Amino acid sequence: MIETQTLHKDYLLPLLRKLGKQYRLVGPVRNRFGDTLYIEIPDLDRVDIDLKQQPQNSLKSFFFPQTEALSSYIVDTEPASPTQLYSFHPLLPENRPTLYFGVRSCDLFAVLYMDMIFLGGKHRDIYYEQRRRGAVFVTLGCNEPFANCFCNATKNGPFLEFGFDLQLTDLGPAKNSYFVEAGKANGLNILKKWTRFFTDATKEDRQFQYQAALEARGLFRQLVHVDLACQELEKGNEPEEVLADFSQRCQDCGGCTFICPTCTCFSITDHQAKDQGSGERIRSWDGCTFAGFTRMAGDHNPIDLRRHRIRKRFFHKLKHDVQKHGRPSCVGCGRCVDMCFGGVDIIRFINAITEAGDLGRDKHRGL
Amino acid sequence: MDYDSYPSCSLDARRQAQAGRDNIYLPDQAVIRKIIRENSLVNTYELTLVDELANHRFSFEPGQFMMISMPHLGEAPISFSSSPDSKDGFSLTIRNSGRLTAAVQKLRPGDIIGVRGPYGRSFPTDRLKGKNLLFIAGGIGLAPLRPLIEQRLAQPDETGSLTLFYGSRTPEDFCFNRDFSRWRQDGLDLRLTVDQAAEEWNGPVGLVTGLLDGFPINDGTMALVCGPGIMIRFVLEQLQAMGMEAENIITTLERHMKCGVGICGHCHMEEKLVCIDGPVFTAAEIPDPENP
Repeated sequence: MIETQTLHKDYLLPLLRKLGKQYRLVGPVRNRFGDTLYIEIPDLDRVDIDLKQQPQNSLKSFFFPQTEALSSYIVDTEPASPTQLYSFHPLLPENRPTLYFGVRSCDLFAVLYMDMIFLGGKHRDIYYEQRRRGAVFVTLGCNEPFANCFCNATKNGPFLEFGFDLQLTDLGPAKNSYFVEAGKANGLNILKKWTRFFTDATKEDRQFQYQAALEARGLFRQLVHVDLACQELEKGNEPEEVLADFSQRCQDCGGCTFICPTCTCFSITDHQAKDQGSGERIRSWDGCTFAGFTRMAGDHNPIDLRRHRIRKRFFHKLKHDVQKHGRPSCVGCGRCVDMCFGGVDIIRFINAITEAGDLGRDKHRGL
Repeated sequence: MDYDSYPSCSLDARRQAQAGRDNIYLPDQAVIRKIIRENSLVNTYELTLVDELANHRFSFEPGQFMMISMPHLGEAPISFSSSPDSKDGFSLTIRNSGRLTAAVQKLRPGDIIGVRGPYGRSFPTDRLKGKNLLFIAGGIGLAPLRPLIEQRLAQPDETGSLTLFYGSRTPEDFCFNRDFSRWRQDGLDLRLTVDQAAEEWNGPVGLVTGLLDGFPINDGTMALVCGPGIMIRFVLEQLQAMGMEAENIITTLERHMKCGVGICGHCHMEEKLVCIDGPVFTAAEIPDPENP
């Protein structure tokens, strides 16, 4: 059974200070430009923790950095020894037990998806695993979804039923407290170890939390028929015109794939050091919307970019992952909506293929 | 050749094996024992892992591939081209077609390259036992089929008839022509065709699909196809028009890959990943036969 408590808002910072002695802390912080981002917090008293706005980034980069060195290599090209010697040395990240707090439901759900990609197959990714091991998640349910959110339609929010260590729900100004649910052993341990910060939840608190979760569902401003879109694609309908139009509007910036919490594709390239005889093998984020993503030696590309530049991205999220994992891999965070200046976001795509059940012909043209 | 005489690499290799046993991204070192020139663009490299213990453990199945590393140039997936039963290492047949493979051409025996693998789904070797096998290859497309041809020829009791239709641009471009007479002796019905005939050529001229006309297909026939994408497409179409079930036609595909183990996402082909769900597919599993 899920253990429930309440935490007075005045106790949040003191609790985090205690937890900060045990864990590296990552949470949403508002910077001097007014942007809210999940960042590492070395000193809680020197940052402006923002639990009101949606963080602009997701947690992706904490487990899967935009660039990281996988290994270094040495090439011996001494003229005395004509043979090429070539050796590799792993560069593993250190494991730092981290507590992620103020995490939104969509962002935790995306981590669970990444677990499946990096750790769920026959081959484990130990770079991801090093960062992921010992991570504790304190999530914050969304009483008021943000402008582009549609996690109700992707069925992973605005509140979670599993996956979190602790889930907080704002019980409103009158109570000035969070309702706290422990979903896993680490969360339960925090409740047990720091009992002085917590109060037993009353029946009224539970009632309020239930009510808040229910009301939040009615506050979404985006009506996105994710299920319907998945069904259309599952039927094998190819929205050729929509794909071609969206492909034309895509400017090859990769912003949607970088901001997306569940876009996990990457490239691996060698970076030669100045001394010529060594270098590093670097992994970096890649995006299937980039022209070079599928290009092979000899410039052969199995993807026709004019028609299908954005097909892989939307089909992967809404069709192929449904076939493979039983649910779409879009978590409804809405970040790609603000990111794309061409209007090639997933909401517009879903709307274009679901409106009027005719695969949206002509409907999406008024971008 | 005694590879322990490479002081820096044998020691390195051991330390590396220790540190990187679970690290799927860390290449092993392989030394080039021999280079065989196939044609002006293609060489076959006979390789052995530098780490002796890893070499003992190493095995692969026909149809699988390795990710090979070249200094400063990253990695590329290359199919095995030698018999999986060979005790002395493995061979990779590589065409000069990009930056990495151009650098490979400059290598000499004794040079070290990085290798990871073996990866990918192999040919369904159990299903192929006792069947009449029709191999159809174009150019370097014979390379991934060669391990299977060698394996089947070595087990005649469990093999039906073996036929290879092999096409290349010119007579000089055939790969593995040193094997042809041995293969024929061992019972392979080998028929060659070229796009452009030279003076001394007295075989057929034209596409490899031309050799298929009148070929007897029966219930026990299975086809194994590899070559350029366009060739695969037409051969698959023709075999099905001749009455073959798509499940009995097997091909192996090529895609841009970075990890080789199902994570990086580059080789997505609809819901499948060519690196782990393939590269070997039946014709029934290929979503877009227009663009295999």
